[in-house]
This record gives sequence, C-alpha cells and structure tokens, in this order.
Amino acid sequence: MPNPKDYAILFDASRCIGCKACQVACKQWNDLEAEKTKNRGSYANPPKLTAHTWITMRYYEGLKPEGDPYFDFIRGSCMHCTHAPCVSACPTGAMAHREGGVVTVDEKTCIGCRSCVQACPYEAVHFDEAKGVVHKCTMCYDRISHGDQPACVKACPADALTFGTYQEIRAMAEERVRALKERGYARANVYGLAELGGTHVLYVLTEHPSQYDLPKAVREAEKRAATGWLSAGIAAAVLGAGLKFIVERREALKGGGQ
Amino acid sequence: MITVNLPNPIGEEHWGLWIALYFFLAGTTGGAYLLSVLFYGKDQGLVRRSALWAFLGVVVGAGLLVIDLGQPLRFLNLLLNGLYPASVMWLGSWFLVLAGAGLLWVYLGPTSRGVQQGVAVLVALVVGYTAVLLMQTAKPFWNASPLLPWLFLASAATAGGALLQLWYPHEKLSRLVTVSALVEGAVLALHLIWTYPAATPGVLALLVGPLAWAFWGFVVVGWGLPLFLERRNVALAALLTLVGAFLLRYFVVMAGQV
Repeated sequence: MPNPKDYAILFDASRCIGCKACQVACKQWNDLEAEKTKNRGSYANPPKLTAHTWITMRYYEGLKPEGDPYFDFIRGSCMHCTHAPCVSACPTGAMAHREGGVVTVDEKTCIGCRSCVQACPYEAVHFDEAKGVVHKCTMCYDRISHGDQPACVKACPADALTFGTYQEIRAMAEERVRALKERGYARANVYGLAELGGTHVLYVLTEHPSQYDLPKAVREAEKRAATGWLSAGIAAAVLGAGLKFIVERREALKGGGQ
Repeated sequence: MITVNLPNPIGEEHWGLWIALYFFLAGTTGGAYLLSVLFYGKDQGLVRRSALWAFLGVVVGAGLLVIDLGQPLRFLNLLLNGLYPASVMWLGSWFLVLAGAGLLWVYLGPTSRGVQQGVAVLVALVVGYTAVLLMQTAKPFWNASPLLPWLFLASAATAGGALLQLWYPHEKLSRLVTVSALVEGAVLALHLIWTYPAATPGVLALLVGPLAWAFWGFVVVGWGLPLFLERRNVALAALLTLVGAFLLRYFVVMAGQV
C-alpha cells in the first residue's frame, strides 16, 4: 500500500473526452520528439508507448450486447507501482522509487539490459536505441518535486486527471465510484488498489478493467522469480537424479546380464 | 548495441539473437560439464576438458550479453553497483562470474571431486537462471507455466550430451541423450498446452505463424531426426541435436515477445 502522503494521479475514465491534450503536454514538457505513425483505423495514435511517447490514450469503440454504442478512453502510461516489477528486475538500481513513491530511471546508471521493459505488465518502459538506456513517465518529477502538477494533469481540460496525495486521490476515486454507481454505472470500479502493492496512479472505470485491456491479478516480479527458482531447483534435482537412476540402473542391469 | 536479425517477422523483440545464442552456449557447454561430473566423475580428462568448454561458453556468452547492452561500457554496473538479489539479471551476472572462475580452476589444476561438484552447482545455476530470468517478466509465454526451467535444463542435458558425444561416443551417452530428449519433448508439449490460454499469439506464432520455421525445424531436424539417427550415425545425430538446441532457445526467446 502506498504511503498516504505519496504523490498520486487519478485518471477518471468517466470524465475523459479523449482529446489527447495530456499526450501533447507530456511531449512538450519532457522535450520528446514526435514520431511518424500510420493510420490504423483508430483514433488511438501513436498506437503504443515508446521511448519517446510516455503517455497515450487508447480508444475502445463498438456496440454493447444490448446494442448501445460505446466509445471508451483509457490512459496508457506508467502506473508507478508500489511493488514495481521494473524496479525488482533492474540489476543496477537505475530503476528505483524516488521520494513520494514515484518510479524513475537514472539514465547515468542504466546499462540498457531491458529487464524492466520485459517486466512491466503495462508496457510502460521502453528502450531508446540511440541513447542505449530506457525511458518512461517520471510523473514529471521535475515539476512535482517543486510543488507543481504533472504536465498531463495541468493540460487536462475535462478534470479527468487530478494530482494530489495518495490519501486524497484514493478518497476521490472511491467517492467518484459511489456517485457513478448511483447514476446507474453498476460496474464502476477503482483500478490500482490491489495491483502490485497499490499503484500511485488510480483509475476510475465504468466497466471491468478487461474492457480496457488492463491486466488484473498481476503477479509481482519477486513472486514470479520465486516460482521460477523453486521450479528450477525441483527440475535440477529431479532431472539429475532421474537421469542418473535411469541410465545407470540400465547399465547395472546390463552388466549383470552379460 | 550491435543488432543482427534472423528471419523474424515478429518485429519488436527487446531480447533477440544474441540472448538466444548466449542461452544456447551457456546451456550446451554447461550441460556438458554437468553430465561429465554427474556420470564420468572418474574420467578426470573428460571433466577437465568439458570444464574448458564450459568456461569458453560462459566467457563468449557473457561477451554476447555485454555487446547486447545499450551501454556496453557500463557492464560493471551489473556487479559493482550494489546488491539487487530480487533481480534475476543481477543474480545471473554473479553466477556467470563465479561459475566462470570455478570452471577455469577445474580446468587448470587437479581438483578434488568435491570442488568439481561445487562448481557443477554454480554451472547448474547458470543454466537454470536463464529460465528464471524469462519467468520474472510480464510475458505470458514465459511465465504462465512453471516449466521453462525444466525445458532449459532438459535441453541442456540433451545438447550437453550431444557435445560430449562429438569427441567421446559412448553408449551410456547415447542413452542419456535419448532419455533427456524425450523428457525435453514432453516438457515442451506440456508447456505449449499450459501456456496456450494465456499466450495464444505466441503459441500460434510457433505452430503456424512467423516462428514456425524455428519451431518445426527444431521438432523435425533438431529433435526427431537425431532420435532416429542415434543408433545409426551418432556424430550426425549430435550435430543436429546442437542445431535443435539453438533453435529451441531462439524460438522460446522470440515467442515470449510476439
């Protein structure tokens, strides 16, 4: 669970209008270059996060089973997890929690091994081929540590993004879900309370997280590694002893027969 | 970063050919050392020769890992920047250093069986950690089943046995290779079935998609044919098994990133 005084962002999917002001503000403040993209038949653009795109809106449109159209937007970016898999996987300490629970990468320490890229369930960390290090959302640490808001939050014209302490943000999220449920959104929920020790970015959703391709029941990297070590230990013991038994017993039987 | 790509239309892999080649070198030469300690402990010539091969495998493999880094000159950060035991990459770096030193020791001087077995534990950790490294990620093809260490260890036994066969054709080795190849095939089939629900795109890429050349190449040329040839032409069977071991590592590394 994040510290109540930690920095946190609330993304309210029920308020988002999909204008991408957050994407533009992120590019501007962090001096990230624009990227050429192709029209893939969706308003979502760029389609994925990259080393130069740290936040992007994903669009989901279609017809519900009852025939009503839906057009949902979700923020795709770093969730600043409390038990962040990228931090666990980093072998040099370059990817680490800073004060306030924010996860950032130290570009002077990063060796570009991409362990964090593989570990992130949100695909929020990306490798910059030119610089040989990884980049990701910093929650605008250079702004928030001086009392300002992250650039994306500041740019949001629809109050879909809010910045504050974890305590405030969580209370707002839960209050908002209550209000949505009263207004008939029976499946409204807060995403990020249980995931990876609690994320420092909380989402208010009107549908189940799977509707937005958000991973549920994400296992922490330490637990995955522990399962791996256990399985490897059993495998080594069983295979070693098993091969020895099968091969040498047959040898002994054969020796006896000759 | 020096990049070389085999025919691989999946496009966006973060770990590619160098990593697969390293897995193959460490797994094969490490497997040969493990088998020689486990089954031919009395033949000190064989133990020391396989220690040399495994030492070279570890050194060349570590070299591949370094050139694959985004910042190769910072590779010492892996070892000297603090303790990160939660990171499988960090642990693996130390296993490589320690196993390399141990193998050199075994090769250079007469050592006791106890030392050789202790070094064998380090080598087993090198062979096994590569699978745990993949399991720590967020990629379902690598972590949805706990079988990857079994697959890598069984493959190391098969390929290591094949490597020994090349200069030491021995009937016991033929049995070893046959048994471990059968285990490897069974584990691979089980892994695909187990991960299919969570990693459908990866499994399909192997069976019928862009990685089918590597998967079926392994099944037919690197696994089935050697089993058939084992009693007819040991040298050819061993060579094909080695090709298969590389294809296996390659398609496992790639399928996780589809």
